[in-house]
Amino acid sequence: MFAKRRVAVVGAGLTLFRRNLKETGRELAFEASKMALDSAGLTRKDIDCVTLGTAPDAFDGIHMKGENLSDGAGAYRKPYTRVFVGGGTGVFAPNAGWWHVASGLFDTCLVVAEEKMSSCFPHPQYAFTTIFDPIMSRPIGMNLVWIFAIEMHRYMHVHGIKKEQIALVSVKNKGNAMDHPCAQLPAKITVEDVLNSETLVHPVQRLDISPTSDGAAALVLASEKVAKEITDDPVWIDGVGWGIDSTYWTNRDLYYPKYVECAARMAYKMAGIKNPPKEIDVAEPYDPFDYKELHHMEGLLLCKKGEAPKLTEEGVTQRDGDLPINPSGGLLGVGNPIAAAGLMKVCEIFWQLRGEAGKRQVPGDPRTGVAQAWGDLMQYGSVIVLRS
Amino acid sequence: MSLEKIGDPRDLTHWMGHMETDYSYTYGIAGEKFFKELKENAKIMGTRCKNCNLIYVPPRLFCERCFEKLDTWETVSKRGSVHTYTIANIDIDGSKLKKPIIWAMIKIDNVHGGFVHKLGEVDSKDVEIGMHVEAVFKSRKEREGSMLDIKYFRPAKQKLEKALR
Repeated sequence: MFAKRRVAVVGAGLTLFRRNLKETGRELAFEASKMALDSAGLTRKDIDCVTLGTAPDAFDGIHMKGENLSDGAGAYRKPYTRVFVGGGTGVFAPNAGWWHVASGLFDTCLVVAEEKMSSCFPHPQYAFTTIFDPIMSRPIGMNLVWIFAIEMHRYMHVHGIKKEQIALVSVKNKGNAMDHPCAQLPAKITVEDVLNSETLVHPVQRLDISPTSDGAAALVLASEKVAKEITDDPVWIDGVGWGIDSTYWTNRDLYYPKYVECAARMAYKMAGIKNPPKEIDVAEPYDPFDYKELHHMEGLLLCKKGEAPKLTEEGVTQRDGDLPINPSGGLLGVGNPIAAAGLMKVCEIFWQLRGEAGKRQVPGDPRTGVAQAWGDLMQYGSVIVLRS
Repeated sequence: MSLEKIGDPRDLTHWMGHMETDYSYTYGIAGEKFFKELKENAKIMGTRCKNCNLIYVPPRLFCERCFEKLDTWETVSKRGSVHTYTIANIDIDGSKLKKPIIWAMIKIDNVHGGFVHKLGEVDSKDVEIGMHVEAVFKSRKEREGSMLDIKYFRPAKQKLEKALR
Protein backbone atom coordinates (compact mmCIF):
# COMPACT_ATOMS: atom_id res chain seq x y z
CA MET A 1 0.00 0.00 0.00
CA PHE A 2 2.94 2.37 0.54
CA ALA A 3 4.33 4.61 -2.13
CA LYS A 4 7.40 3.39 -3.99
CA ARG A 5 9.13 6.75 -4.14
CA ARG A 6 11.36 7.52 -1.17
CA VAL A 7 11.34 11.08 0.12
CA ALA A 8 14.29 12.80 1.77
CA VAL A 9 14.69 15.84 3.96
CA VAL A 10 17.50 17.89 2.43
CA GLY A 11 17.35 21.19 4.30
CA ALA A 12 15.96 22.81 7.45
CA GLY A 13 15.45 26.32 8.80
CA LEU A 14 14.31 27.82 12.08
CA THR A 15 13.76 31.34 13.41
CA LEU A 16 14.28 32.50 16.95
CA PHE A 17 11.38 31.52 19.22
CA ARG A 18 10.34 34.50 21.35
CA ARG A 19 7.34 35.79 23.28
CA ASN A 20 6.98 38.93 21.16
CA LEU A 21 8.75 39.18 17.84
CA LYS A 22 8.65 42.31 15.72
CA GLU A 23 8.40 40.34 12.45
CA THR A 24 4.97 39.62 10.96
CA GLY A 25 3.95 36.01 10.46
CA ARG A 26 4.85 36.10 6.78
CA GLU A 27 8.25 37.62 7.59
CA LEU A 28 8.88 34.80 10.04
CA ALA A 29 7.80 32.26 7.42
CA PHE A 30 10.18 33.88 4.95
CA GLU A 31 13.15 33.70 7.33
CA ALA A 32 12.66 30.00 8.05
CA SER A 33 11.95 29.15 4.40
CA LYS A 34 14.99 31.04 3.12
CA MET A 35 17.23 29.35 5.67
CA ALA A 36 15.91 25.90 4.75
CA LEU A 37 16.44 26.57 1.02
CA ASP A 38 19.94 27.94 1.63
CA SER A 39 20.88 24.90 3.71
CA ALA A 40 19.76 22.65 0.85
CA GLY A 41 21.60 24.74 -1.71
CA LEU A 42 18.34 25.42 -3.53
CA THR A 43 16.34 28.50 -4.48
CA ARG A 44 12.59 29.11 -4.67
CA LYS A 45 12.77 28.26 -8.39
CA ASP A 46 13.74 24.68 -7.52
CA ILE A 47 10.61 24.17 -5.42
CA ASP A 48 7.66 22.40 -7.08
CA CYS A 49 5.07 22.89 -4.33
CA VAL A 50 4.57 24.32 -0.86
CA THR A 51 2.83 22.86 2.19
CA LEU A 52 2.11 25.25 5.05
CA GLY A 53 1.15 24.31 8.57
CA THR A 54 -0.28 26.85 10.96
CA ALA A 55 -2.66 26.50 13.89
CA PRO A 56 -5.90 28.39 14.67
CA ASP A 57 -6.44 31.61 12.73
CA ALA A 58 -7.30 33.23 16.03
CA PHE A 59 -3.64 33.41 17.14
CA ASP A 60 -2.36 35.59 14.34
CA GLY A 61 -5.81 37.19 14.18
CA ILE A 62 -6.33 36.69 10.44
CA HIS A 63 -9.29 34.60 9.33
CA MET A 64 -7.42 33.36 6.26
CA LYS A 65 -4.02 32.77 7.65
CA GLY A 66 -2.94 30.31 4.98
CA GLU A 67 -3.49 32.85 2.24
CA ASN A 68 -1.86 35.61 4.27
CA LEU A 69 1.31 33.61 4.89
CA SER A 70 1.65 32.17 1.39
CA ASP A 71 4.21 34.62 -0.02
CA GLY A 72 6.44 34.27 3.03
CA ALA A 73 6.30 30.50 2.57
CA GLY A 74 7.56 30.87 -0.99
CA ALA A 75 4.26 29.85 -2.56
CA TYR A 76 3.82 32.64 -5.14
CA ARG A 77 2.28 31.00 -8.23
CA LYS A 78 2.96 27.49 -7.00
CA PRO A 79 0.75 24.59 -5.94
CA TYR A 80 0.05 25.48 -2.32
CA THR A 81 -1.85 23.85 0.51
CA ARG A 82 -2.40 24.79 4.12
CA VAL A 83 -2.90 21.93 6.54
CA PHE A 84 -4.23 22.29 10.05
CA VAL A 85 -4.73 19.70 12.78
CA GLY A 86 -4.37 21.89 15.85
CA GLY A 87 -1.21 21.28 17.86
CA GLY A 88 -0.46 18.27 15.67
CA THR A 89 0.04 20.54 12.66
CA GLY A 90 3.82 20.90 12.97
CA VAL A 91 4.47 17.19 12.41
CA PHE A 92 1.48 16.71 10.12
CA ALA A 93 2.77 19.39 7.69
CA PRO A 94 5.87 17.32 6.72
CA ASN A 95 3.62 14.25 6.51
CA ALA A 96 1.52 16.12 3.98
CA GLY A 97 4.69 17.28 2.23
CA TRP A 98 5.80 13.65 2.10
CA TRP A 99 2.73 12.50 0.17
CA HIS A 100 3.11 15.38 -2.29
CA VAL A 101 6.50 13.95 -3.26
CA ALA A 102 5.95 10.22 -2.56
CA SER A 103 2.92 10.25 -4.86
CA GLY A 104 5.14 11.20 -7.77
CA LEU A 105 3.28 14.43 -8.32
CA PHE A 106 6.24 16.64 -7.33
CA ASP A 107 10.01 16.27 -6.92
CA THR A 108 10.49 18.96 -4.29
CA CYS A 109 8.29 20.40 -1.56
CA LEU A 110 8.93 23.26 0.82
CA VAL A 111 7.25 22.58 4.18
CA VAL A 112 6.72 25.66 6.35
CA ALA A 113 5.16 26.09 9.79
CA GLU A 114 4.43 29.42 11.44
CA GLU A 115 2.74 30.83 14.51
CA LYS A 116 2.56 34.35 15.87
CA MET A 117 0.70 33.99 19.12
CA SER A 118 1.61 37.40 20.48
CA SER A 119 -0.88 39.11 18.14
CA CYS A 120 -3.70 37.67 20.23
CA PHE A 121 -4.13 40.37 22.83
CA PRO A 122 -3.89 40.49 25.78
CA HIS A 123 -3.20 36.73 25.92
CA PRO A 124 -3.52 33.88 23.38
CA GLN A 125 -5.41 31.85 25.99
CA TYR A 126 -8.44 33.86 24.86
CA ALA A 127 -8.21 32.19 21.44
CA PHE A 128 -8.30 28.80 23.12
CA THR A 129 -11.68 29.50 24.74
CA THR A 130 -13.37 29.10 21.36
CA ILE A 131 -11.82 25.73 20.40
CA PHE A 132 -14.43 23.84 22.42
CA ASP A 133 -17.92 22.77 21.45
CA PRO A 134 -20.00 25.96 21.66
CA ILE A 135 -22.97 24.35 23.38
CA MET A 136 -21.69 21.45 25.47
CA SER A 137 -18.38 22.85 26.70
CA ARG A 138 -17.93 26.58 26.24
CA PRO A 139 -20.66 27.73 28.64
CA ILE A 140 -18.83 25.84 31.40
CA GLY A 141 -15.81 28.10 30.89
CA MET A 142 -13.12 25.58 30.05
CA ASN A 143 -9.69 26.76 29.09
CA LEU A 144 -6.66 24.99 27.82
CA VAL A 145 -4.52 24.92 30.94
CA TRP A 146 -7.42 23.45 32.92
CA ILE A 147 -7.99 20.60 30.51
CA PHE A 148 -4.30 19.71 30.65
CA ALA A 149 -4.43 19.82 34.41
CA ILE A 150 -7.20 17.25 34.57
CA GLU A 151 -5.41 14.99 32.08
CA MET A 152 -2.15 15.30 34.05
CA HIS A 153 -3.98 14.47 37.26
CA ARG A 154 -5.55 11.36 35.72
CA TYR A 155 -2.16 10.18 34.41
CA MET A 156 -0.54 10.70 37.82
CA HIS A 157 -3.42 8.98 39.60
CA VAL A 158 -3.51 5.84 37.45
CA HIS A 159 0.22 5.15 37.68
CA GLY A 160 0.92 6.65 41.11
CA ILE A 161 3.35 9.18 39.60
CA LYS A 162 4.84 11.87 41.82
CA LYS A 163 5.20 15.50 40.86
CA GLU A 164 8.96 15.26 41.55
CA GLN A 165 9.28 12.70 38.77
CA ILE A 166 7.42 14.87 36.29
CA ALA A 167 9.42 17.98 37.23
CA LEU A 168 12.59 16.20 36.05
CA VAL A 169 11.35 16.61 32.47
CA SER A 170 11.16 20.38 32.81
CA VAL A 171 14.65 20.44 34.38
CA LYS A 172 16.07 18.29 31.56
CA ASN A 173 14.42 20.12 28.68
CA LYS A 174 15.12 23.66 29.85
CA GLY A 175 18.71 22.49 30.45
CA ASN A 176 18.99 20.98 26.97
CA ALA A 177 17.73 24.25 25.51
CA MET A 178 20.82 26.02 26.91
CA ASP A 179 22.58 24.66 23.80
CA HIS A 180 19.88 25.75 21.33
CA PRO A 181 20.55 29.08 19.60
CA CYS A 182 16.83 29.72 18.97
CA ALA A 183 15.62 28.90 22.49
CA GLN A 184 13.19 31.14 24.34
CA LEU A 185 13.41 29.64 27.82
CA PRO A 186 16.78 27.93 28.32
CA ALA A 187 17.55 27.63 32.01
CA LYS A 188 19.43 25.67 34.57
CA ILE A 189 16.77 24.86 37.13
CA THR A 190 16.20 22.22 39.78
CA VAL A 191 13.29 19.99 40.70
CA GLU A 192 12.79 22.25 43.73
CA ASP A 193 12.43 25.29 41.47
CA VAL A 194 9.61 23.52 39.62
CA LEU A 195 7.92 22.36 42.81
CA ASN A 196 8.23 25.81 44.36
CA SER A 197 6.86 27.62 41.32
CA GLU A 198 3.36 29.04 41.50
CA THR A 199 0.53 26.50 41.33
CA LEU A 200 -1.63 27.74 38.49
CA VAL A 201 -4.16 24.99 38.07
CA HIS A 202 -3.48 22.03 40.32
CA PRO A 203 -1.32 19.99 39.66
CA VAL A 204 0.12 22.30 37.00
CA GLN A 205 2.75 24.76 38.20
CA ARG A 206 4.38 27.63 36.36
CA LEU A 207 7.51 25.69 35.41
CA ASP A 208 5.53 22.69 34.13
CA ILE A 209 4.34 24.71 31.12
CA SER A 210 5.89 25.81 27.85
CA PRO A 211 5.52 29.48 26.96
CA THR A 212 3.48 31.17 24.24
CA SER A 213 5.74 32.10 21.39
CA ASP A 214 6.24 33.57 17.95
CA GLY A 215 8.34 31.65 15.44
CA ALA A 216 8.62 29.67 12.23
CA ALA A 217 10.34 26.54 10.94
CA ALA A 218 10.81 25.02 7.48
CA LEU A 219 12.03 21.86 5.76
CA VAL A 220 12.91 21.09 2.16
CA LEU A 221 11.76 17.68 0.94
CA ALA A 222 13.03 16.02 -2.23
CA SER A 223 12.45 12.85 -4.19
CA GLU A 224 15.23 10.23 -4.09
CA LYS A 225 16.49 11.24 -7.51
CA VAL A 226 16.75 14.95 -6.65
CA ALA A 227 18.07 14.28 -3.14
CA LYS A 228 20.96 12.21 -4.45
CA GLU A 229 21.86 14.96 -6.90
CA ILE A 230 22.09 17.69 -4.29
CA THR A 231 23.37 16.07 -1.10
CA ASP A 232 25.53 13.24 0.21
CA ASP A 233 23.56 13.23 3.47
CA PRO A 234 19.87 12.84 2.75
CA VAL A 235 17.71 12.00 5.74
CA TRP A 236 14.86 9.74 4.66
CA ILE A 237 11.28 10.00 5.75
CA ASP A 238 10.66 6.29 6.31
CA GLY A 239 7.40 6.47 8.20
CA VAL A 240 4.47 8.84 8.59
CA GLY A 241 1.41 8.40 10.76
CA TRP A 242 -1.57 10.35 11.98
CA GLY A 243 -4.88 9.65 13.63
CA ILE A 244 -7.65 10.92 15.84
CA ASP A 245 -9.61 9.63 18.83
CA SER A 246 -13.19 10.47 19.84
CA THR A 247 -14.22 14.11 19.58
CA TYR A 248 -15.90 13.66 22.95
CA TRP A 249 -13.09 13.67 25.44
CA THR A 250 -15.47 12.51 28.14
CA ASN A 251 -15.51 9.24 26.17
CA ARG A 252 -11.80 8.65 26.59
CA ASP A 253 -9.64 7.60 29.54
CA LEU A 254 -7.22 10.48 29.81
CA TYR A 255 -4.40 8.45 31.36
CA TYR A 256 -3.16 7.15 27.99
CA PRO A 257 -2.78 8.88 24.61
CA LYS A 258 -4.29 6.23 22.38
CA TYR A 259 -4.24 8.73 19.51
CA VAL A 260 -0.44 8.80 19.61
CA GLU A 261 -0.26 5.02 19.62
CA CYS A 262 -2.48 4.84 16.50
CA ALA A 263 -0.28 7.34 14.67
CA ALA A 264 2.93 5.67 15.88
CA ARG A 265 1.81 2.19 14.80
CA MET A 266 1.05 3.54 11.32
CA ALA A 267 4.47 5.19 11.03
CA TYR A 268 6.39 2.25 12.53
CA LYS A 269 4.70 -0.23 10.22
CA MET A 270 5.72 1.85 7.22
CA ALA A 271 9.27 2.16 8.55
CA GLY A 272 9.49 -1.55 9.43
CA ILE A 273 10.08 -0.77 13.11
CA LYS A 274 9.10 -3.70 15.31
CA ASN A 275 10.80 -2.82 18.59
CA PRO A 276 10.64 0.97 19.00
CA PRO A 277 12.83 1.35 22.13
CA LYS A 278 15.60 -0.74 20.53
CA GLU A 279 15.36 0.63 17.01
CA ILE A 280 14.85 4.33 17.74
CA ASP A 281 18.00 6.24 18.67
CA VAL A 282 16.55 9.66 19.44
CA ALA A 283 13.03 10.99 19.92
CA GLU A 284 11.27 14.35 20.05
CA PRO A 285 7.83 13.73 21.59
CA TYR A 286 5.55 16.75 22.01
CA ASP A 287 6.12 18.40 25.38
CA PRO A 288 3.95 21.50 25.85
CA PHE A 289 3.74 20.38 29.47
CA ASP A 290 6.37 18.26 31.24
CA TYR A 291 4.00 15.32 31.89
CA LYS A 292 3.17 15.31 28.18
CA GLU A 293 6.69 14.14 27.30
CA LEU A 294 6.16 11.10 29.54
CA HIS A 295 2.59 10.53 28.33
CA HIS A 296 3.72 10.69 24.72
CA MET A 297 6.79 8.46 25.23
CA GLU A 298 4.31 5.83 26.35
CA GLY A 299 1.99 6.50 23.41
CA LEU A 300 4.99 6.24 21.06
CA LEU A 301 5.59 2.76 22.53
CA LEU A 302 9.09 3.81 23.61
CA CYS A 303 8.36 2.22 26.98
CA LYS A 304 5.54 0.49 28.83
CA LYS A 305 2.56 2.42 30.17
CA GLY A 306 3.58 4.22 33.36
CA GLU A 307 7.28 3.48 32.83
CA ALA A 308 8.39 6.83 31.37
CA PRO A 309 8.87 8.57 34.75
CA LYS A 310 11.17 5.76 35.91
CA LEU A 311 13.29 5.98 32.75
CA THR A 312 13.53 9.72 33.27
CA GLU A 313 14.68 9.26 36.88
CA GLU A 314 17.31 6.78 35.75
CA GLY A 315 18.74 9.27 33.26
CA VAL A 316 17.84 7.13 30.24
CA THR A 317 16.21 10.12 28.52
CA GLN A 318 19.16 12.50 28.98
CA ARG A 319 21.01 13.58 25.87
CA ASP A 320 23.77 11.06 26.68
CA GLY A 321 21.35 8.40 27.94
CA ASP A 322 20.31 5.21 26.16
CA LEU A 323 17.19 6.84 24.71
CA PRO A 324 17.66 10.60 24.41
CA ILE A 325 14.32 12.40 24.55
CA ASN A 326 13.94 16.00 23.40
CA PRO A 327 17.65 16.79 23.02
CA SER A 328 16.56 20.09 21.42
CA GLY A 329 15.11 21.31 24.69
CA GLY A 330 11.59 20.72 23.43
CA LEU A 331 8.70 23.11 23.76
CA LEU A 332 9.52 23.61 27.44
CA GLY A 333 12.95 24.98 26.60
CA VAL A 334 12.96 26.16 22.99
CA GLY A 335 9.41 27.54 23.05
CA ASN A 336 5.97 26.75 21.72
CA PRO A 337 4.82 28.63 18.62
CA ILE A 338 2.33 25.79 18.05
CA ALA A 339 2.84 24.58 14.46
CA ALA A 340 6.42 25.88 14.29
CA ALA A 341 7.23 24.05 17.53
CA GLY A 342 6.15 20.71 16.04
CA LEU A 343 8.24 21.30 12.92
CA MET A 344 11.18 22.42 15.10
CA LYS A 345 11.15 18.85 16.44
CA VAL A 346 11.44 17.41 12.95
CA CYS A 347 14.26 19.89 12.21
CA GLU A 348 16.03 18.65 15.35
CA ILE A 349 15.80 14.99 14.31
CA PHE A 350 17.10 15.99 10.86
CA TRP A 351 20.10 17.78 12.40
CA GLN A 352 20.71 14.94 14.87
CA LEU A 353 20.75 12.30 12.13
CA ARG A 354 23.07 14.42 9.98
CA GLY A 355 25.43 14.93 12.91
CA GLU A 356 24.81 18.68 12.63
CA ALA A 357 23.24 19.33 16.04
CA GLY A 358 26.40 20.95 17.43
CA LYS A 359 26.47 21.09 21.22
CA ARG A 360 23.12 19.30 21.27
CA GLN A 361 24.46 16.33 19.30
CA VAL A 362 23.40 12.99 20.74
CA PRO A 363 26.43 10.68 20.97
CA GLY A 364 26.72 7.33 19.17
CA ASP A 365 25.89 8.29 15.58
CA PRO A 366 22.07 8.13 15.78
CA ARG A 367 20.52 6.68 12.63
CA THR A 368 16.80 6.50 13.40
CA GLY A 369 14.72 9.24 15.00
CA VAL A 370 11.07 9.95 15.63
CA ALA A 371 9.21 13.22 16.14
CA GLN A 372 5.62 13.53 17.30
CA ALA A 373 3.07 16.24 17.85
CA TRP A 374 -0.33 16.19 19.41
CA GLY A 375 -3.31 18.39 18.94
CA ASP A 376 -6.91 19.21 18.27
CA LEU A 377 -8.92 18.66 21.45
CA MET A 378 -6.24 16.44 23.04
CA GLN A 379 -6.99 13.57 20.68
CA TYR A 380 -4.91 14.03 17.51
CA GLY A 381 -1.52 12.37 16.98
CA SER A 382 1.01 12.95 14.21
CA VAL A 383 4.27 11.02 13.95
CA ILE A 384 7.23 10.99 11.56
CA VAL A 385 10.14 8.53 11.44
CA LEU A 386 13.41 9.71 9.90
CA ARG A 387 16.49 7.63 9.04
CA SER A 388 19.93 8.58 7.84
CA MET B 1 9.20 32.12 40.06
CA SER B 2 8.85 32.62 36.39
CA LEU B 3 11.61 32.24 33.86
CA GLU B 4 9.53 33.86 31.19
CA LYS B 5 10.59 37.27 30.01
CA ILE B 6 7.09 38.59 29.50
CA GLY B 7 6.86 41.82 27.63
CA ASP B 8 3.93 43.86 26.48
CA PRO B 9 3.43 43.36 22.72
CA ARG B 10 2.40 47.01 22.54
CA ASP B 11 6.03 47.96 23.24
CA LEU B 12 6.70 47.08 19.59
CA THR B 13 5.49 49.37 16.81
CA HIS B 14 1.98 48.05 16.27
CA TRP B 15 -1.57 48.55 15.04
CA MET B 16 -4.45 47.55 17.34
CA GLY B 17 -7.23 45.67 15.58
CA HIS B 18 -10.10 43.42 16.51
CA MET B 19 -12.14 40.69 14.85
CA GLU B 20 -15.68 40.94 16.08
CA THR B 21 -18.04 38.20 15.03
CA ASP B 22 -21.03 36.86 16.91
CA TYR B 23 -22.55 33.47 16.30
CA SER B 24 -25.93 31.81 16.65
CA TYR B 25 -25.29 28.12 17.18
CA THR B 26 -28.12 25.62 16.65
CA TYR B 27 -28.40 22.93 19.29
CA GLY B 28 -28.72 20.31 16.57
CA ILE B 29 -31.15 17.42 16.42
CA ALA B 30 -29.77 15.50 19.41
CA GLY B 31 -28.84 18.60 21.35
CA GLU B 32 -32.33 20.07 21.09
CA LYS B 33 -33.87 17.05 22.76
CA PHE B 34 -31.12 16.85 25.37
CA PHE B 35 -31.48 20.49 26.41
CA LYS B 36 -35.29 20.39 26.33
CA GLU B 37 -35.30 17.55 28.87
CA LEU B 38 -32.59 19.24 30.91
CA LYS B 39 -34.60 22.47 31.02
CA GLU B 40 -38.14 21.15 31.45
CA ASN B 41 -37.60 18.04 33.55
CA ALA B 42 -34.07 18.28 34.95
CA LYS B 43 -33.35 14.98 33.27
CA ILE B 44 -30.11 13.86 31.66
CA MET B 45 -30.70 11.98 28.43
CA GLY B 46 -28.47 9.71 26.41
CA THR B 47 -28.80 7.84 23.13
CA ARG B 48 -28.24 4.11 22.93
CA CYS B 49 -26.29 2.35 20.22
CA LYS B 50 -27.64 -1.18 20.08
CA ASN B 51 -24.81 -2.41 17.84
CA CYS B 52 -22.03 -1.21 20.09
CA ASN B 53 -23.97 -1.63 23.34
CA LEU B 54 -23.18 1.90 24.49
CA ILE B 55 -25.26 4.75 25.83
CA TYR B 56 -23.74 8.01 24.72
CA VAL B 57 -23.82 10.96 27.11
CA PRO B 58 -24.04 13.66 25.91
CA PRO B 59 -26.43 12.12 23.39
CA ARG B 60 -25.55 11.99 19.72
CA LEU B 61 -27.51 11.50 16.56
CA PHE B 62 -25.08 8.85 15.31
CA CYS B 63 -22.59 6.32 16.64
CA GLU B 64 -19.00 7.27 15.82
CA ARG B 65 -18.00 3.59 15.85
CA CYS B 66 -20.57 1.70 13.73
CA PHE B 67 -21.83 4.90 12.09
CA GLU B 68 -25.50 4.04 12.49
CA LYS B 69 -28.12 6.66 13.26
CA LEU B 70 -29.22 6.56 16.90
CA ASP B 71 -32.88 7.06 17.87
CA THR B 72 -33.20 5.15 21.12
CA TRP B 73 -33.33 7.69 23.92
CA GLU B 74 -32.73 6.82 27.56
CA THR B 75 -33.01 8.81 30.76
CA VAL B 76 -29.71 8.25 32.51
CA SER B 77 -28.46 8.77 36.04
CA LYS B 78 -27.76 12.22 37.44
CA ARG B 79 -24.86 10.70 39.25
CA GLY B 80 -21.39 9.77 38.27
CA SER B 81 -17.83 9.49 39.48
CA VAL B 82 -14.92 11.90 39.29
CA HIS B 83 -12.60 10.61 36.55
CA THR B 84 -10.09 13.37 37.23
CA TYR B 85 -10.17 16.96 38.44
CA THR B 86 -8.19 20.14 38.83
CA ILE B 87 -8.26 23.17 41.08
CA ALA B 88 -7.85 26.41 39.16
CA ASN B 89 -6.14 29.23 41.02
CA ILE B 90 -5.83 31.54 38.06
CA ASP B 91 -8.16 32.99 35.49
CA ILE B 92 -7.72 32.85 31.75
CA ASP B 93 -5.41 35.87 31.62
CA GLY B 94 -3.25 34.52 34.43
CA SER B 95 -4.80 36.72 37.11
CA LYS B 96 -5.48 35.22 40.51
CA LEU B 97 -9.01 33.93 41.11
CA LYS B 98 -10.62 35.18 44.32
CA LYS B 99 -11.89 31.70 45.04
CA PRO B 100 -10.30 28.62 43.42
CA ILE B 101 -12.61 26.69 41.09
CA ILE B 102 -12.73 22.88 41.09
CA TRP B 103 -13.22 21.46 37.60
CA ALA B 104 -13.89 17.77 37.18
CA MET B 105 -14.48 15.29 34.43
CA ILE B 106 -17.48 13.30 35.59
CA LYS B 107 -18.23 9.92 34.07
CA ILE B 108 -21.99 9.37 34.45
CA ASP B 109 -22.99 6.03 35.99
CA ASN B 110 -23.62 3.12 33.61
CA VAL B 111 -23.15 5.06 30.38
CA HIS B 112 -20.35 5.87 27.95
CA GLY B 113 -19.31 9.45 28.65
CA GLY B 114 -20.21 12.29 30.91
CA PHE B 115 -19.45 15.95 31.43
CA VAL B 116 -16.78 18.35 32.44
CA HIS B 117 -18.28 20.61 35.08
CA LYS B 118 -17.63 22.41 38.33
CA LEU B 119 -17.76 20.71 41.71
CA GLY B 120 -19.58 22.48 44.53
CA GLU B 121 -20.52 21.97 48.19
CA VAL B 122 -17.13 20.37 48.75
CA ASP B 123 -13.76 21.58 49.98
CA SER B 124 -10.97 21.12 47.44
CA LYS B 125 -9.02 19.15 50.04
CA ASP B 126 -11.78 16.54 50.19
CA VAL B 127 -12.08 15.85 46.46
CA GLU B 128 -10.81 12.48 45.29
CA ILE B 129 -10.63 10.72 41.96
CA GLY B 130 -13.36 8.07 42.00
CA MET B 131 -15.59 10.12 44.28
CA HIS B 132 -19.34 9.67 43.64
CA VAL B 133 -21.08 12.92 42.73
CA GLU B 134 -24.52 14.11 41.65
CA ALA B 135 -25.81 16.94 39.50
CA VAL B 136 -27.35 19.94 41.24
CA PHE B 137 -29.90 21.69 39.02
CA LYS B 138 -31.07 25.25 38.97
CA SER B 139 -34.76 25.78 39.72
CA ARG B 140 -37.23 25.26 36.86
CA LYS B 141 -37.64 29.02 36.52
CA GLU B 142 -33.92 29.60 36.19
CA ARG B 143 -33.26 26.81 33.70
CA GLU B 144 -32.89 28.00 30.13
CA GLY B 145 -31.62 25.01 28.19
CA SER B 146 -27.89 25.28 28.81
CA MET B 147 -25.14 23.22 30.38
CA LEU B 148 -25.34 25.85 33.11
CA ASP B 149 -28.81 24.51 34.04
CA ILE B 150 -26.66 22.13 36.06
CA LYS B 151 -25.18 24.44 38.70
CA TYR B 152 -22.43 21.99 39.60
CA PHE B 153 -21.91 18.44 40.79
CA ARG B 154 -21.64 17.76 44.52
CA PRO B 155 -20.69 14.71 46.58
CA ALA B 156 -23.56 12.21 46.22
CA LYS B 157 -25.81 11.86 49.24
CA GLN B 158 -26.01 8.13 49.81
CA LYS B 159 -29.34 8.07 51.63
CA LEU B 160 -31.17 9.90 48.91
CA GLU B 161 -29.81 7.71 46.18
CA LYS B 162 -33.05 5.93 45.34
CA ALA B 163 -35.25 8.98 45.56
CA LEU B 164 -33.02 10.99 43.24
CA ARG B 165 -32.96 8.34 40.59
